[in-house]
Amino acid sequence: MTDQNTTHFGFETIPEDQKAGKVQGVFSSVASKYDVMNDAMSLGIHRIWKDAMMDWLAPRAGQRLLDVAGGTGDISFRFLNRAGSGHATVCDLTEPMLVAGRKRAEAAQMADSLDWVVGDAMALPFADSTFDVYTISFGIRNVTRPLEALKEAYRVLKPGGRLMVLEFSQIPTPALQWAYDRYSFNLIPLLGQVIANDRDSYQYLVESIRKFPDQNTFLGMLREAGFEQAKYRNLTMGIAALHSGWKI
Amino acid sequence: MTDQTETPLFDRRMLEALVCPRSNATLRYDAEAQELISPTANLAYPIRNGIPVMLVDEARVLDD
Repeated sequence: MTDQNTTHFGFETIPEDQKAGKVQGVFSSVASKYDVMNDAMSLGIHRIWKDAMMDWLAPRAGQRLLDVAGGTGDISFRFLNRAGSGHATVCDLTEPMLVAGRKRAEAAQMADSLDWVVGDAMALPFADSTFDVYTISFGIRNVTRPLEALKEAYRVLKPGGRLMVLEFSQIPTPALQWAYDRYSFNLIPLLGQVIANDRDSYQYLVESIRKFPDQNTFLGMLREAGFEQAKYRNLTMGIAALHSGWKI
Repeated sequence: MTDQTETPLFDRRMLEALVCPRSNATLRYDAEAQELISPTANLAYPIRNGIPVMLVDEARVLDD
């Protein structure tokens, strides 16, 4: 009998091989209301975080982006608009999210600049050294083994390429963390119920934030995956953080 | 002009970038079956609504 590794799914402990299926369940459920919920939950602040991500990334014309867990394409659209020209491949585990994103691309008349692929962050269907930039925005905490995703990111980036991760993180101040906990555990699942008719998925989302490593631990993981010049920046007192690294 | 809502087709240009996630080998596009074949791994990945589903769990094992 094989000894199964376990991982977290929010506050639940589950066998590792169950996580991806459960994550897909969550995101298939939230897909149609995803953008609306993000605005409601973060009071629109997620837009500022994503803008900050773009500022630090400083996209250049003609770059090839791989946007993992890119879902509805939020980051890809921003990237292409900032760069002026280039190409984005959006890779996600959840097909309905990609379908929703593709519709947005068509509406924005950008369809030719984006590809949509169902794929696993831990086993990317791309050759080595393919992309100039790799982004993952509010996705890595849902990956069963985040270090593997980082190693795959390293593999598919060209030499000189850059990794940029945007993810929820930990607030260094206990009092502020407490206030934030009250907000997220009380209000967010309720919003989920009211807006998306799905309390459980948003309960999972809130729990998954708590379980993700803190800023410095995650920085160590970037280095372990081979990235150099690894740095992070806090956003909104550490509620979210950007982690950047280079494949030298 | 006919007003048809069609599902976008798979874009062949993607073949330049996509590889089999298991074997890292290049893929062959079967337009009729809407599949991407990995001869090395003996797997056929489905394309649904023009979107390639590059998950080993969803691939069809090819019988020789």
